[in-house]
This record gives sequence, C-alpha cells and structure tokens, in this order.
Amino acid sequence: MLTIKDLGYWYSHPDDALFTNVNLSFEAGQSYAVVGESGSGKTTFLSLVAGLDTPKAGRIELNGKDIRKMGLTNYRKHSVSIVFQAYNLFNYMSPVNNVLTAMAITNSKHQGDKAYAKQLLAKLGLTEDQMGQNVTHLSGGQQQRVAIARAMGCDADLVVADEPTGNLDEANTKEVVELFQQLAHEENKCVIIVTHETNVAAACDHSYRLAHKQFTMEQPTA
Amino acid sequence: MNFFKRAWLSLLAKKGRSLLMLIVMSAIMLFVFAGLLIHSAADKATQQAKENVGVTITLSANRAAAFKKMQKSQSSGSSSKPTITTSPVKLSDAKKIAKLSNISSYNATSSTSVNADGFDTVSTSTASSQMGGRMGGSSSSSTGDITVDGVTSTASSSSFTDKTDKITSGRNLTTSDKNTNNTVIESELAKADSLKVGDTIKVKTTSSKKTYTLKIVGIYKAKSSASSSMPGVSDPSNTIYTSYTFANTVKGSKYKNTADSVTFNVSNPSKVSSVKAAGKKLINTSKYSLSTDDASYQTVKASMKSVESFANKIVWLVAIAGTIILALIIMLQIRERRHEIGVLLALGESRGKVIGQFFVEMGIVMVVSLVIAGIGGQFIGNKLGNQLVSQQTSSLSTSSSTSTTQAPGGGMKGNGQAPSGKMGGGQMGNQATSSRTASVKQTNLDVKLSAVQLVKLGAMGLVITLLSVMLAAGNILRLQPKKILLD
Repeated sequence: MLTIKDLGYWYSHPDDALFTNVNLSFEAGQSYAVVGESGSGKTTFLSLVAGLDTPKAGRIELNGKDIRKMGLTNYRKHSVSIVFQAYNLFNYMSPVNNVLTAMAITNSKHQGDKAYAKQLLAKLGLTEDQMGQNVTHLSGGQQQRVAIARAMGCDADLVVADEPTGNLDEANTKEVVELFQQLAHEENKCVIIVTHETNVAAACDHSYRLAHKQFTMEQPTA
Repeated sequence: MNFFKRAWLSLLAKKGRSLLMLIVMSAIMLFVFAGLLIHSAADKATQQAKENVGVTITLSANRAAAFKKMQKSQSSGSSSKPTITTSPVKLSDAKKIAKLSNISSYNATSSTSVNADGFDTVSTSTASSQMGGRMGGSSSSSTGDITVDGVTSTASSSSFTDKTDKITSGRNLTTSDKNTNNTVIESELAKADSLKVGDTIKVKTTSSKKTYTLKIVGIYKAKSSASSSMPGVSDPSNTIYTSYTFANTVKGSKYKNTADSVTFNVSNPSKVSSVKAAGKKLINTSKYSLSTDDASYQTVKASMKSVESFANKIVWLVAIAGTIILALIIMLQIRERRHEIGVLLALGESRGKVIGQFFVEMGIVMVVSLVIAGIGGQFIGNKLGNQLVSQQTSSLSTSSSTSTTQAPGGGMKGNGQAPSGKMGGGQMGNQATSSRTASVKQTNLDVKLSAVQLVKLGAMGLVITLLSVMLAAGNILRLQPKKILLD
C-alpha cells in the first residue's frame, strides 16, 4: 500500500542526514511500530509519511502513486489520519465537534454524523458529559483519546500516530494499542505508530528501528 | 462542520477576544461612519444652500463714475462747490433686466426723509448723539426726522428677508400698494404715539412743507435698537416703509418712474456672473452700476466647505489609523492561532478555507460593528456636524458684523449688501448707518443614515479585513504544516 523508495531527509546538509536511502513497505491490515532513540528522526519520518513535509531525497508512493504528484493537501485530506503526540485538538471545541470537524475536512463517509462521532468517543471511554465539554477541560489521557477518535473518524486508509500513548497510564495504553490493532485488523487500515515504548512496539505486527540513518526490521517481542 | 461553523464556534468560545475585536472595530467604524455622514450631509447642505440662499444683483447709480466726473470738472478750473451728481435708476431699464432668465423677482427702493407732523418721533438720548450733529453724505437740503424707505414690497426687501425687521401687526406692503399712501411703521414709534393698524399719520416734506397723510397697514419690529444707532443719526424706529411711488412723490416730480436702486433676486446663484454680464449689456454703465450680493451664499458655502473638509480629514485620518490598527490586531490574532492553522492544514484543509474561516470570523464581528456604527454614527455625526456648523457660522457672523459696523456714515445698510442705493437724491445719511448686524443664516446639517453609505463602509471594512487576514495568514500558510506545528 505505502512504499518508501530511497527516502532521505536532512536539515542543512546531506552529510548530516537523519536517514538516507530508506526503502520500506507498509501494507493495509497491518500495524507497524517505528522505534528508535530520541532525536533519531522517528517523528520526521512520520511527518514525511503523513505528508506534512517533503523529503529531500527519494519518494513516497501510495498505491503506486507519488504522494507529491497527488498533492500533499489532497493526500492528507483523503488518505491519511494523524494522531499527534501533543494531541493538537481545536481548543475552542468540544470532543464531538473536534471529531466532526476532522470528518468534514477529510470528506469522511460519516461526515456530519454526530451519532457516529459520539459512538467513536464512547468506544474510547469518554462519557456523554465529557463529550460536550470543551476539550481543554479534559485530562491529557482523555484528550489523547479524542485525538485518536478524530483520526478514526477520518476514515483514511493510512493511520499514523506519533507517541499516542505517551501521556497514558499502563491500562489506558493497553486499551489504545488494542484500538489501533482493531483498526488494522478489523477495518483493514495500515497503522504506523512511532513509539519509544517497547510494549507498544511489541503489540504491533511489525517493528522497525531507526538507528544510524537506517531502518532495520525488528522481531516484535511480546 | 464547514469553516463557517468553525468560525462561529471560535467566536463563541473566545468571548473576550471577540468582544475586544468588536469594540475596536466599532470604534473605528463609528468615526469613519460619522465622518462619511458629515461629509455627505455637508455636501447636501451646500447643494441646498445653492438653491435656497438668496443671491441678488443691485442696479444703482454709478457713484464711482460720478466721482470721476466731479474730479474732472474740478481740475478744469470750475470755481463752484464740488458736487457728485448721480442719476436715479429708470424703472424701464430695471424692467429690461428683470426679463433676463434666472431673475425671479425684483424690488425697487427709493429713500427719502420727511418730518413728522402731529406725532412724536423716537429720540435717542445717548451721550454720543449729542455730538457732531448730522452726519452722513447729505448733499442737498436738510434731512427730516422720519426716514422713508420706499419699496416694491416689504417682504422682499433685504431687512425683512434677513429678518432684521419683522411684521408684528397688520400686513406687509405689496405691489398692490403702488401709488398708495399706505405705510408700515416701527413698533417703538407706534408705541410712543399709541398708533395702531388702520390709524393715519401726517408727514411734511423737508423742502416744500407739503403734507401727506399716510395710512398704517402694518407695524414691524426692528431688531436693532436705539443704542446701536450711530451718533447723530436718527433712531431706527423712525424708519417707515412706503411704496416706492410715495417716496418718489415726496422727492419730486423728476423722480417719477425711478428708484434709488433695484434689487433683482437671482433664482440660480451659480448663474449670478452670467446674469450680471447680461444685465450690464442692457444699461448705460457710465451712469449705472450692477453689483452682486452673494454674501449669504458665500457664507453658507464657506461654512459647509469647512465642515466638509473637516469631515474629509476625519474620514481619512480614522480610515488610515483604523486600517493600521485593525490590520495589526488581526495579524497578531492570526499569528497567535498559528498552531490551529497547522492542525487544519495537517488534517487536509485547503488554504483558502483557512483564510475563509478567519475572514468569516472578522466578517461577523464587522456586521455587528456596522450596526453599532449605524446607530452611534448618526448620533455622533449629528452632534459633531451641527457643532461644527455652529462654530463656523458664529465665527463668520462675528467677522461679518465687525466689518459692517465700521461703515462711517456712508450709504450702506449694515447687512452686508452692496451699495443698495440709500443715496438717491442726496438723501443718504441718517438712515444709512443704522447698525443692523448681518444675519448669517445657520444651516443645520441633516445627518441621515443611508443604505449606500452603510454598504460603502461595510465594503471598506471587508476589504481591510480581507487584506489583513490574507497578509497575516498568507505568511503562515506558505509554510509546510510540519514547520508551522514545530515552530
């Protein structure tokens, strides 16, 4: 589904590249973990995959089409859902409106379906009362759930998440990982999670480690 | 949820920010709107002034030419006492001018003086009146104690039109009073002699001592008082109005079908120059002169121009300052929402819709501001506009009054009118210096809200808002979402 070909990225000089000549492949119905040391370039890699930035070398193809040729805005709108590490919710909206907004922007098939938005939020453990509050009144964990619900509501084939469990406790982390697994296995999405938590990486179907400018596949260990 | 709803939610959620924006925008709109309203009202008032304010042309003897003639005869060695000989205006000449287009009506005036016979005149007992005796340009026999202002109709004579004199009882003299001995007397004189409408008075000519009986058909009240009259000059209350034919009769048979001066009312003030030029072609300019009096028109025009110019400055000043302030506030607000822009772009929102959301937010605030400006602007515009007109008019009135009261016993009435001919037959003198101050008409600005102005203001606001939003957001939108979110 998603093919990375000779991908490279650097800020000022190719000699200082975060990674070069990366060739990877991500399939629908599978979950992938990207692990690595802090500052290794995991989040940068994810931003390229999410179409938030353009690579310095190589290309990313979605179903055989270069995403730059598709138009990055178009790619983000129709093909990818993002869960940010810092949630990045609209702070002047309720959880329901956050989900509805994302569904409207991405032209989701559930666009405007408030009941569906609520259903997603309920599935992630938010109460009816919490759904109507402003998101700034929710805890970090609850906001992370709203961010995940927003990504799920977008109905994109590719779901990318940057440290989605960074602010969650162990029990909640387990629940969230299970949700991502469900997305991959039950809804046939391709899920890519950047994490530094070994248990999250272990829960995924595949795991890649970014070190010394290269990705290497790791055998997930439960 | 489209960007309209997002804009609405943002406005509702951030009430403080929205309120601040509303206050700033309303203040700017209010002043721009008030300026626009004053400007437009001043424009309208100037137009109205052009149509309503009286402009007159006066046909009278050419004193300047007569003076030159006198100087010439002196230099040729004539030993006789130098005298200025002026010719009274022939009514036949006046009628020719009256036929010109843009002349709506005319008023002939003929002045003389007589002595009261059997009734007392009003005397002025100021210290100044004790000195100097009679002043003025009397060039013939002695002057009487009653001034006779012969007119075609009192209503169209300058002292009535400028409201210096006002009928309080009875009626005005009209063209139907021609060849009659009907008169309108001053209320002080009527009071002093217990006279009322319907009574008769007798007057004697100063030279032949011939007596005439006049019937009082009206009583007028003069604004000027005895204290304001010049020393040595008869009290203004001793001025009586009669038909010009009566004044001519008193002056003598050679004055039949003549007048000291004839004042023509010009229906379209802007055509006064062409009317004057056309009139000059019909008269003997060595004997007669045509002078224009558009003082009231010029006063109102100057006053309105000043208000208009002030309003223009308000509009420009507030519009420029407002645009800068508004643009800076919008830019700062949008920069604060940089992260939100990044998230929207990351979700796949188009740049146009991001700008659209901010524009709709500002647009909603602007519509409310327009309503506030519409209500408040009319009120402020009315107060400010009329205050400005009042200041302008009073300053012009003061300068006009100062200049007219300086006339030293000459032949002009103090109403700013050009040589109105109070000098026929050597009678210029006692009545000439009555210091009636100029009555400068105050034009009120009718500041009214119009849909066109509101739309104009709204369009102006929208353009400013759109430019500010595009400038501020454009700077952010050109970046990749990752860069926006990371910064």
